Amino acid sequence: EMLVEEFVADTESVNNFLMTGPKAYLIYSSSVAAGAQSGIDECKYQFAWDRWNCPERALQLSTHSSLRSANRETAFVHAISSAGVMYTLTRNCSLGDFDNCGCDDSRNGQRGGHGWLWGGCSDNVGFGEAISKQFVDALETGQDARAAMNLHNNEAGRKAVKGTMQKTCKCHGVSGSCTTQTCWLQLPEFREVGNYLKEKYHRALKVDLLRGAGNSAASRGAIAETFNSISRKELVHLEDSPDYCLENRTLGLAGTEGRECLKKGKNLNKWEKRSCRRLCGECGLAVEERKAEMVSSCNCKFHWCCAVKCEQCRKTVTKYYCVKKGGKRGRNESATIRRKSPRLRKKH
Amino acid sequence: MAGAIIENMSTKKLVIVGVTLLLFQALAFMVGGLIAPGPTSAIEYLATKCVDGIKHRQESKWLMPWGPQQCEKLQNFEEAMAKRIEANNIVFAVHIPMPGNEMSPWFQFILVILQLDIMFKMNNQIEEGAVVTIDVSLAYRDDLFSEWTEMAHSFEHRNLNCNFTAAKTIENEGRQYDCDALPFMEVGSVAHKYYLINIRLPVNERKKINIGIGEIRDIRLVGIHQNGGFTKVWFAMKTFLTPSILIIMIWYWRRITLMTRPPVLLEKVIFALGISMTFINIPVEWFSVGFNWTWMLLFGDIRQGIFYSMLLSFWIIFCGEHLMDQSERNRFSVYWKQVGPIVFGSFCLFIFDMCERGVQLTNPFYSIWASDIGTELAMSFIIVAGICACLYFLFLCFMVFQVFRNISGKRTSLPAMSKARRLHYEGLIFRFKFLMLVSLLILDVLVLMICFVCVGDGGATSGEDIQLTTTITHADGPTEIYKMTGKEAQE
Repeated sequence: EMLVEEFVADTESVNNFLMTGPKAYLIYSSSVAAGAQSGIDECKYQFAWDRWNCPERALQLSTHSSLRSANRETAFVHAISSAGVMYTLTRNCSLGDFDNCGCDDSRNGQRGGHGWLWGGCSDNVGFGEAISKQFVDALETGQDARAAMNLHNNEAGRKAVKGTMQKTCKCHGVSGSCTTQTCWLQLPEFREVGNYLKEKYHRALKVDLLRGAGNSAASRGAIAETFNSISRKELVHLEDSPDYCLENRTLGLAGTEGRECLKKGKNLNKWEKRSCRRLCGECGLAVEERKAEMVSSCNCKFHWCCAVKCEQCRKTVTKYYCVKKGGKRGRNESATIRRKSPRLRKKH
Repeated sequence: MAGAIIENMSTKKLVIVGVTLLLFQALAFMVGGLIAPGPTSAIEYLATKCVDGIKHRQESKWLMPWGPQQCEKLQNFEEAMAKRIEANNIVFAVHIPMPGNEMSPWFQFILVILQLDIMFKMNNQIEEGAVVTIDVSLAYRDDLFSEWTEMAHSFEHRNLNCNFTAAKTIENEGRQYDCDALPFMEVGSVAHKYYLINIRLPVNERKKINIGIGEIRDIRLVGIHQNGGFTKVWFAMKTFLTPSILIIMIWYWRRITLMTRPPVLLEKVIFALGISMTFINIPVEWFSVGFNWTWMLLFGDIRQGIFYSMLLSFWIIFCGEHLMDQSERNRFSVYWKQVGPIVFGSFCLFIFDMCERGVQLTNPFYSIWASDIGTELAMSFIIVAGICACLYFLFLCFMVFQVFRNISGKRTSLPAMSKARRLHYEGLIFRFKFLMLVSLLILDVLVLMICFVCVGDGGATSGEDIQLTTTITHADGPTEIYKMTGKEAQE
């Protein structure tokens, strides 16, 4: 929540910065904020069972933070935020929230304002991409390697939205034959974008530019050249990730102590099944079992919208948490220490 | 066999005619590629969720998604849950077109496709064979301030065809089903500037209406219309071509009547082909710009159907008249076996088209594919037409084979003939082969093009792959080539 406010505040400063443009930018700011929020939510979902769990502090996209890191996680945050902004703008376009999306005659233009009548409008996605670019990229004012990295990852996020779009076609020739056919691209669920970017996160490229990089024109040229040579679909980072196991106040890391993890359950995938080992065991923490009673609605009669008439059910659920060792249960401890595998460490 | 006009023409004239035709086609290609925009546009509309307040019902039953009189909106259905708004009070509103634009008669038609975004919930899954019942109404107005006028209102059923790609577990709750796009609406003329669609999904537990259709997150509509620029260029080409074809036809018929003998069958067929080509080319569509004629789409289909059946009959008769087996032909009734399937097949497609587009004249939301019986009926018509087409092609192939066999037979006896007779036969054979090859080439190119268009766009043909089977080869000269080019250029 706090972060969104900050983001909005930032976009307002961007507005001041872009005052040459029309006032209309204010129209988009709520969509931009909502888009950034959806990016954050998706980030939290994707990293729920990782050591780094997308904490609010990591999401400061602003330039003035002196603690700016340039690791793999920063890359993901930038990509998913700009993707979220683009996604939401495109979606709101289809809702009819804006007056000129896709049909901006200046872009469609050659035909003197009759673009819509003559050849239709361009995609809403193009519009979302352009506005997202204007808003998100404008936060990056520097010209150093970090700024270049952030811009690259913003672009990768937008490319991810475009890359996950699905093409659908409709035949409408004589008697519904395919002699005439119209195709269009449609937005996927945002989850698809998140999954796509998570994969890119695992394969992010490291660029070694920080050492000896001044702010001279020559090094700027070198930065631009390096980033141009990398595909714009890939995520890029400059630094290695810190150890997320430990609490680190200066870096703003909370550590994994107190985190929930998953253990049993037939429907868990590999990554989720190993979450207790990853979050607790390998970080030198023990797993604690806590039983909690949950109240939830059940036996509801459902309609396509708005469930009616539910009963309240109570059930006990077992949850697992990472706790400091030497406390409660020795059994769990020994089990987790024994299994300290170096394999997963290598992955990061 | 008495020589038809086309065979008695000198080679020089034939070449000139051929080159002119090719030039026209090249010109059509250029126009399609350089001037005209893509043939159609697709616009995606996300339906706005409105609350149908019972107290307001008397005032205005039309709910607007945006603008000054916009409805009371919901961002999502969690909000509806919190406010205790029931499913029956939610209306999905879509305004065509998007704000800031207006529709135009140049768009010729609007075709709308419905897509439901349904969330997976463990205890509210889509049931097997689920049917969604839609209460839909369509209204229009011509300026931004007047009242909406109702155009159509209907209760429609659509079969949901969804599958869930992920595992059906509690972790995947909230993910979306992958649902087929559903046919929704087709309007054959765009006479008004603004259209408004209001969709309700009424729930009735006793009658089992809209029960077991999962949890809907969004309704998306995709509106397809022909681009205005495309229509204009197309009309211009038709207007330009019609007189040229008319002039050629008059010249041709005059030449035939000037001869002492009565016209032979082949000449009559060519003339009939000319007439059907003129019929398809006459730019009656100009009227659609001024009048609200919704039957224009159906009329266009009928004209195309007549032209195709004429073209197919022509090929049969053209081959038959070149058999050179001395038996008496020159009568249309000789060809009933071959022409019969064409007529029957076209008739089947005509009935099918009447059932689909014909009914759409009164109810734009009707679709024959929406019900099981309708689908079976439509499929049976299409299958019968397909069988007819196969029969026809078998006959045609057999005839072409016969012709080539006879030709090679004639070849051996050529040296024994008198010089004049030999030249006549050589010319005949050469031209037949030439025309046959050209027709085959055109046919191949067009079939290939259609295949490319269909295959190139991938298998996402929205669950109506069956309709592919109705694809007929197009060979309607420059206008079709122009259409094709437009499509190619768009991609």
